[in-house]
Amino acid sequence: MRWDSQTYWALDLETSGLSPTDQILSVGMVPIRQGVICYGEHFYSLVRPQAGLPLSHEGIRAHHIVPAELEAAPPLAEALEAIHPRLSQGILLLHHAPVDMGFLRRAYGHLHRPWPRPRVLDTVRLIAKLQERQCYLEPHSRPLPRGLAEARAHFGLPPHLEHHALYDALATAELFLLLRSRLGAKTLRQLT
Amino acid sequence: MGNTLTPLEFIRQTPPFDRLPPEALAAVERGLEISFFPKGTRVLAHTGPPSEHLYLIRKGAARLLREGREVLLLEEGDCFGYPSLLAQDAPSFDVVAEEDLLVYRWEQKIFRGLLAYPEFAQFFSRDLAERLRLVSKALHHAPSTLNLDLSMPVGELVSRPPVFVARSASIGQAAQIMREQRISSLLVEGEPLGILTDRDLRNRVLAEGRGPETPLAEVMSAPAKTLNAETPLFEALAFMVSQGIHHLPVTRDGRIVGVITDTVLMRQQTRSPLYLLRRLERTRDPADLQGYREELTGVVESLMAGGLGAPSIGRSVSSLNDQLVRVLLELAEARLGPPPTPYAWIVFGSEGRMEQTLLTDQDNALIYQDDLPEARPYFARLAEFVVQGLLQAGFPPCPGGYMATRWHKPLAEWERLFGHWIQQPNPQELLEAQIFFDFRPVHGNLSLQSLEQLVAHSGQHRIFLAQMARSALQFRPPLGFFRRIREEEGGVDLKKGGIAPIVSLARVYALEALSPARSTLERLEAAARAGKLSAEGAETLAEAFNFLTRLRLREQLGALRRGEAPGNKVSLEALSALERRHLKEAFVLLREMQEALGQRFQTDLLG
Repeated sequence: MRWDSQTYWALDLETSGLSPTDQILSVGMVPIRQGVICYGEHFYSLVRPQAGLPLSHEGIRAHHIVPAELEAAPPLAEALEAIHPRLSQGILLLHHAPVDMGFLRRAYGHLHRPWPRPRVLDTVRLIAKLQERQCYLEPHSRPLPRGLAEARAHFGLPPHLEHHALYDALATAELFLLLRSRLGAKTLRQLT
Repeated sequence: MGNTLTPLEFIRQTPPFDRLPPEALAAVERGLEISFFPKGTRVLAHTGPPSEHLYLIRKGAARLLREGREVLLLEEGDCFGYPSLLAQDAPSFDVVAEEDLLVYRWEQKIFRGLLAYPEFAQFFSRDLAERLRLVSKALHHAPSTLNLDLSMPVGELVSRPPVFVARSASIGQAAQIMREQRISSLLVEGEPLGILTDRDLRNRVLAEGRGPETPLAEVMSAPAKTLNAETPLFEALAFMVSQGIHHLPVTRDGRIVGVITDTVLMRQQTRSPLYLLRRLERTRDPADLQGYREELTGVVESLMAGGLGAPSIGRSVSSLNDQLVRVLLELAEARLGPPPTPYAWIVFGSEGRMEQTLLTDQDNALIYQDDLPEARPYFARLAEFVVQGLLQAGFPPCPGGYMATRWHKPLAEWERLFGHWIQQPNPQELLEAQIFFDFRPVHGNLSLQSLEQLVAHSGQHRIFLAQMARSALQFRPPLGFFRRIREEEGGVDLKKGGIAPIVSLARVYALEALSPARSTLERLEAAARAGKLSAEGAETLAEAFNFLTRLRLREQLGALRRGEAPGNKVSLEALSALERRHLKEAFVLLREMQEALGQRFQTDLLG
């Protein structure tokens, strides 16, 4: 199956921290259809934290989300209503998948919803794939950067607004298009 | 500006999207698609299917190729694909990713919707000339010092209906009407239209010792010079300056609707060309000319702020400089006595073409009729007086040394000189002499018919034209690898890289067309009329010329405000993305036109 016959949803979460007790504060999603990012269809929402769970101030500071905005935001259940159909539509595209996957699974769990087990592509893994190939050709070349912003800079993509769920998701989608072409992958199988 | 831009931030600051109102940007964001093309991809193919999108480069570069030849390099912020999209034709170019290309794009439906905004739509005119015109308009950043909008129709300044007097009236009766009506001029009934002004009463009546019974018809000016009420104010100003008139009857549908006086125009602005003209007319001593340069700069600034193009400004400035020369020559004649033989004072180069805006140099010469023994010393002193006066007024001496102090010769010698240039053209000589072919008489009674004839027929000499063409190719637009603009130390030289090549090119084509035109714009027009140059080519060159000269003038005025010497260089950094883009387009176009000129005259075959 050609890689671009699939729909991909790039997703990024901003969270209050990295531990399992931290919370989702915002979510951004951008689809890729027929190999083109359809930015107009993006989804972005802040998420109101569940009462009783601790909020880390460091995390809040990192992404400039202020508590007042969060209080007015829809609760996790509502956000998940919007995330779910997109998530189920195609392949989920994440940069450094384990962290966001963990948060998503826990969110489904909290709300007692069955985990939809989406197919996932991780741009960090695509970078690793490219790295393997590069090592084969040039054994002593420098390792490729793995961070989203660093990797984009390395490959010549423009700087983006970091730590914002929507623009990080878009940044991931753009990086994916570039990596796909560098890998010369024609099919989805060649990407996984 | 931060360098981390969200898509919408990037789009909003990129022309022509920067002209869209906020409500339109929502549609832009909704319709935004982002695509990636690795280096080497053919994004659009010449003869391929029509483009389905408007593309905007977010990152990377693409080459536009026509028949395998690179036409243009597109960079971040450049659009492509629209001519094909608009016409639903095959793309006229191949578009190939020169580097990895991240592009924003919109479907035709969205693009068509945005075309409803005229400011946005204008940008996509297929015509480069049209787009250059647009950018030239956008160059009006200078702070406005004018209360008058110089583009308004002159008729709007008419404040009262015209007052007429019978042609049979006497001067005394006319003066009474002027007193009663409190006006400084009076129109005279009958054909052709006559006009009588305060000045006439003073200069032609009182000063001549005539009495109030003098018939009006003997002292009025007729036919009076008139302009249509729809004429833009700046043209009317230029007309009044060039004609040396202070009262201008204005017509609508063939009827006089009123008279505009220069006081109406000057009341609001001392930085008007008319004000400076008045000052020149009152000059009695070259020492009075101190400060002329600064005042002229003020006039240029205000004309620029009024939205005039460099060519119109050049015409006004040249009229003033001509008047300055006339005043100096009259003072010189008063001092040295009448000339022993008729003469003509000529200017050439940018003054001859009426394209000089700031006082950057003087190119002048003197031609006299008979080679009498007393003629040479007389004209040497005359020239010395005028050139010193011009220096007083603030003209720097000409670095090439083309000044009448050295260049005063009898007509026969000038005829031999032009004959030599035309019949035995020598590349090195022509390189310097080509500006003589822009000569224009400013003062004096000597007829230059014979020189005019020589120049007018010079285009019949193929080798002469070929050598002129070769001189015209001496300077090339500063385009480097992949047609990027090459910047030398201090910036891009607009004169060497653009203005001078266009001037030379227009000169060659106009000479070939046997046209007597002098200004670059008129020459291009004449060449197009004679079929030597395509109408489209001529128009595009004209717009490129307007764009470059205006850009240079803006930079020069900026330099003067900062207390620096005005030069010809502009730093790319100081230009907006749109200006940079059009500068590149102008250079690319010019390079193509130069190649065509070279082929036409086979300059490569010349030794």
